Amino acid sequence: MQYAAGIDIGACFSKAVVVSNSRILSRHIIPSGGSYELAAGMVMEAALKKAELSRDDLAYVVATGGGATNVSFADKTSSDILCQGRAVSLLHPSVRTIVDVGDLSSKVSRIDQNGKTSAFLLSGKCAGGSARILQVIARVLQVKIGEIGPLSLTSRNPVKFNTQCAVFAETEAVSRIAEGLAKEDLLAGIHLALASQLYTLAERIGVEQDCALIGGGAVDIGLVKAIEEIAEHEFTVPAEPQIMAAYGAAILAGENII
Amino acid sequence: MTENKASCPQYYFAGIDIGSTMTKAVIVNGGVVCSVIGATGPEQRRLAGDVMREALDKAGLGFDDISYLVATGYGRINVPFADRQITEISCHAKGVSSLFPQARTIIDIGGQDVKGIKINAQGKPLDFVMNDKCAAGTGRFLEVIAGTLGLALGDLGKTAAESNNPARISSLCTVFAAQEVASRLSEGTSLGDLVAGIHHSVAERILRTVSRLSLEREVVVTGGGAKNGHLVKTLGDKLGYELLVPPEPLATGAIGAALLGKDRFMNALPGLHSTPAGQLPARPRNWGEVTFFS
Repeated sequence: MQYAAGIDIGACFSKAVVVSNSRILSRHIIPSGGSYELAAGMVMEAALKKAELSRDDLAYVVATGGGATNVSFADKTSSDILCQGRAVSLLHPSVRTIVDVGDLSSKVSRIDQNGKTSAFLLSGKCAGGSARILQVIARVLQVKIGEIGPLSLTSRNPVKFNTQCAVFAETEAVSRIAEGLAKEDLLAGIHLALASQLYTLAERIGVEQDCALIGGGAVDIGLVKAIEEIAEHEFTVPAEPQIMAAYGAAILAGENII
Repeated sequence: MTENKASCPQYYFAGIDIGSTMTKAVIVNGGVVCSVIGATGPEQRRLAGDVMREALDKAGLGFDDISYLVATGYGRINVPFADRQITEISCHAKGVSSLFPQARTIIDIGGQDVKGIKINAQGKPLDFVMNDKCAAGTGRFLEVIAGTLGLALGDLGKTAAESNNPARISSLCTVFAAQEVASRLSEGTSLGDLVAGIHHSVAERILRTVSRLSLEREVVVTGGGAKNGHLVKTLGDKLGYELLVPPEPLATGAIGAALLGKDRFMNALPGLHSTPAGQLPARPRNWGEVTFFS
């Protein structure tokens, strides 16, 4: 049996996936912390342990993500957009447009029926256009990040934010709370503001259905519903949206064995 | 100014500039009688009127002594005690021109936005550009970085001036720059170099915004950012000439508001001439809350 691994070092989280013939044997996610190199080693070891394997069992490792070059044990690095395309296509063959909401930036890409990327676009490194704004607002509202989605869905009156900047949105949220507005209405408002930026980015490369939402932001049900509301159609969310790039890297690694 | 004072000794005009961060009130007759600057802050927004009241107290005047009151700035939309709202573009132009008649361009570095304003010799705005979409390049950026580094906003310029090797800050976004600065500090980059790097980054961002206008001298820097001498110097170094700064760079919008109110009132005066000044119809004014979001 040949084993391969994909490792995705993101700005916020590092993810590792171990596969055998594109089948996931184990996966692990840890915060990237201050050292990408350290995080890479730790997340790889943890994923291997879950699969009851050791480094020597891995025939090939592909690293991806912003910190890919820090993965000293990788055989190759690949672009996260290409990796995501492969993974999403394998799991959801009908998907043609992918929206990836990361901590540092967001990305939209189009893939063909083989999972090959045909076009992509990156947001600027702007907290207002990435999942970071959700963390900023969650902190101000003193809501745990995992709770903002469900809370946002209870809103019946989403607040219209006057800004797309995370720093200004934070100030606005503070004032609005002082004015007595409900947390859920602010959260729903911020979800709509981010979703509208994401969808605008997607429209710039042309939205072709089906669409998938992936990345850390896709874990947030409030953001998923908001982008569906703006797009006026459903989005596919993979069961583990955070590990798509790592999984895709593992698929590529597996192909390199043959 | 003395001559002016003599020309309208019995009239007083007030300007209030409610910015995102600071509220400024000025009372003028011939010249500036007094000015008061207070925080706008999330809590004090409802109390913006207190700054006006303080200015009146300081001048030894009552509300009824003010012939015309103009509100400007981000919070001008609903100032229940104002006779009129005028955009801060017009007010800054007027205020700066009254202090520096030779000024042709204003760079206003506010708490939440940056503006470039071209003005003519009469203090009328000809063109303007603004960035209020993003905190980068505004006073807020400096505030956030100062907070991250545990420095007072007022000490930033001084700290930066100590560096002769400014660090290169790669993040444009305020949130990510704050994170970058914090991690670079823990990696051993000196505080002075980081803060100097931040000044370069803000200055570049400001110039990128305002250079959509063709900058024409003299260039006057106003707003809270003008209080940071190192920022003004960094801007001047990049432009290759010295920039002018008013004695109180926060007050120019309020001064302009008061002066524009004065112009309006004096122009209307001939029509009111039959009524002695003391008997001008009293304006109903009330100290209500200032609302910020429509």
